[in-house]
Amino acid sequence: MAVRTRRTAAKRREYLWCYVLLLPLLLAFGGFTLWPIVASWWYSFFDWDGVGTPTEWVGVANFIEVLTAPDFWSAFWHSFLFSLVALFIELPLALAFAILLNNVRLRGRNMYRLALFVPVVTTTAVVGIVFVALLDPVRGAVNEVLFATGLVDSPINFLGSTVTALPTVMGIDLWKGFGISLIYWLAALQTVPKELIEAAQLDGARRFAIVRHIMVPVMAPIAIVIMLLLFQRSLGTFDLVQAMTAGGPVYSTDVVPTYIFRYAFSPEMQAPRYGFACAAGVIFGLLTLVLTLLQAPALKYRKRVAA
Amino acid sequence: MTHVRHAQISRRGVLTAGLGAAAGLGLAACGSSEEPSGGSSSSGSGPTVELTIALIPDPPGASEFYRAQLDKFEAANPGIKINVVENPGDQQLSAVELMFQQGNAPDIYRAQAAGFDRMYSRGWAHSLEEFVTDDFLARFPDGSLDPASSGLHRNGELYSIPLVWGRWSAMDLFVYNRSLLSASGFDAAPTTWGEIEEIARAVTTDGGGRIFGMAPEQASGIVRLSRQGVPYSIPGDGINLLTGEPDTANSTMVEAVELMRRMNADGSLITGWESWDSARSYTEFAAGSFAMYTAQSWHIAEIRNLNPDIELGIVDMPVPDSGRASYTPILQQFDPLWSMSSETEHPEEAWLLLDFLASEDFYRAYYEQFGTLTAMQSVWEDDVRANPDLSAVLDVAETTMKVVPNPKLASEGGAAVFNARAERPELRFTDAALESMIKNEEFAPKAEALDQQLRTFLDGIFASGDASAEDITFPSWDPLQPYDAAN
Repeated sequence: MAVRTRRTAAKRREYLWCYVLLLPLLLAFGGFTLWPIVASWWYSFFDWDGVGTPTEWVGVANFIEVLTAPDFWSAFWHSFLFSLVALFIELPLALAFAILLNNVRLRGRNMYRLALFVPVVTTTAVVGIVFVALLDPVRGAVNEVLFATGLVDSPINFLGSTVTALPTVMGIDLWKGFGISLIYWLAALQTVPKELIEAAQLDGARRFAIVRHIMVPVMAPIAIVIMLLLFQRSLGTFDLVQAMTAGGPVYSTDVVPTYIFRYAFSPEMQAPRYGFACAAGVIFGLLTLVLTLLQAPALKYRKRVAA
Repeated sequence: MTHVRHAQISRRGVLTAGLGAAAGLGLAACGSSEEPSGGSSSSGSGPTVELTIALIPDPPGASEFYRAQLDKFEAANPGIKINVVENPGDQQLSAVELMFQQGNAPDIYRAQAAGFDRMYSRGWAHSLEEFVTDDFLARFPDGSLDPASSGLHRNGELYSIPLVWGRWSAMDLFVYNRSLLSASGFDAAPTTWGEIEEIARAVTTDGGGRIFGMAPEQASGIVRLSRQGVPYSIPGDGINLLTGEPDTANSTMVEAVELMRRMNADGSLITGWESWDSARSYTEFAAGSFAMYTAQSWHIAEIRNLNPDIELGIVDMPVPDSGRASYTPILQQFDPLWSMSSETEHPEEAWLLLDFLASEDFYRAYYEQFGTLTAMQSVWEDDVRANPDLSAVLDVAETTMKVVPNPKLASEGGAAVFNARAERPELRFTDAALESMIKNEEFAPKAEALDQQLRTFLDGIFASGDASAEDITFPSWDPLQPYDAAN
């Protein structure tokens, strides 16, 4: 009995180390993630400008105002579009490039991989500012080339037109995030057994058939994870939009994070509306949750395939 | 067993070292917190008071200018050391508020216009009444520091110090590039809205896709133009002070937006203006990318710095084709700029710094460095006419600005209405106007919808009892004459 007690105590001591080592992370998570989330729920019930203690309780008025604001839904639609572009354009395009760059016979493939990954590690704000300069209708490099080659007789207003601004920013967002999707896919491709591909090749299967009937089914579980990660990332796009257009012109590129930022921090607001901005954040979080849950069948499929 | 014991000792060692490091950092933090940035410290020759000033380093070169000036102040006041906190213009207010919330408020901070009102309403501005001397008052023109109209007073007490001449920050200028107009066959600047359109179209046609007629400065151009045709409060807040009614759909107001809409649709406005800030406007104007725009006074020196040889014309704002019906408003004598923190531990020393920032030497240095007409007129009025640009600016100010009724200063009800209105940015006409211009949509229906929203907003304020229609109605005011509150 005494031996058992000693063993239990020793085990506890050993586990204690785990908790001690986890403590900094738990404290950081509690202080910088959990607390802000809980606090934003609380603040969303107040008419509060972010200074001092919130005192003016307004119940669900902020939530009603957000849910009935056309600008919020317009921003949400734009955020959702970013996700759709990521899922339906970036994801398949990155897969195609990954398959291409996974070919050992391709010379310089590591250089290509590096070139496609460099935008990922470049600061988003810098990318935004550089593209604003490149696309500028006045002396911007892109318009200068178009002008010089006679392709246009007046500059293209990439970021100033409500028609072109959103697709332009989305295109740059796609380019910026493309490398990470590519890396995901390259990692996924390593899970495809070479023997399977070689056997199919011996059986005379063409390249497309190998991709369709071997690679895609084998990679499906990982693809679903990639899809979810990409969806989440794209829905929260903020820094690129803020750096390039700040949601303009006339809110045509406004996404929910820039919408929230404007109400909480914009100098245009004589009295910032932190409570309202928090309510918008809570609703956005819930909508994101719902959209993620809608992908539950895909997760179930992944579980089934993995089993 | 030996292995386990060895491992335990190792972990304990790690833990001890970790706790030791944490304790060390904690002590270090405690140690540093005992010496606040704004507090006193001892130096070899006696106690030194450290003051913190939060400022915006604009215009370009201001950072070095302020440091040099503050060095002079320190040299003249050996017991005071000044720490400078610089923030970008669009972040200054939030940054200073954060400093207050963190208990690390600056002793002196820059806050202008609505930003100053925000700081005052939070109780973060220190009254300067106890420090003001006759010598201080004598630096400014007679009557300009009257609490009722200075713009620097709240509740009858002085709370802020100005930097620039009152009209400098409020004037509407129309600037044009003489050589570009001349190349298109125009010898003179436009005087009416119709002429703007005609000249802009001609310059754009001749520009071959490289040079354009005009830049609108977002919706500011519409505000500046429309103030020549309707009472200033309509483009400002959507309310006509002659009637006390919402009036965004006023026909002259609609025409101002439609003018810009037409010019944008036919390409007379420079491509890409939609994503420009103010600095881009004067930069591109100086580069000769477009011929005309409605400028702010401080742009003039920047344009000249960027292109000393530009053939710059500075004239009155063009008026509606039907003629002038209003003037650029003079709402107050000065725009507030420097304030003392209500939480400063060294008000006497902070006042010395404010007094320096309102001194003849400082105002003169600022005028000479940046070409800005500063709040003390005596430092520039004798030689300003020698500078053709500033002389033209002065002419515009003299001929196109008039004192107008200021409901915020006239009554508590008026202040309640316009302060509440400022908290409802969606009621501004600017978003609707920009939407009309950019999407090429009619403005009148949007203006009518805005007026309906404003009506609801006003009814709500009036129903609360905080204000009445009389507080925002000045029926005897003639917008073509200077307003006299006494009559």
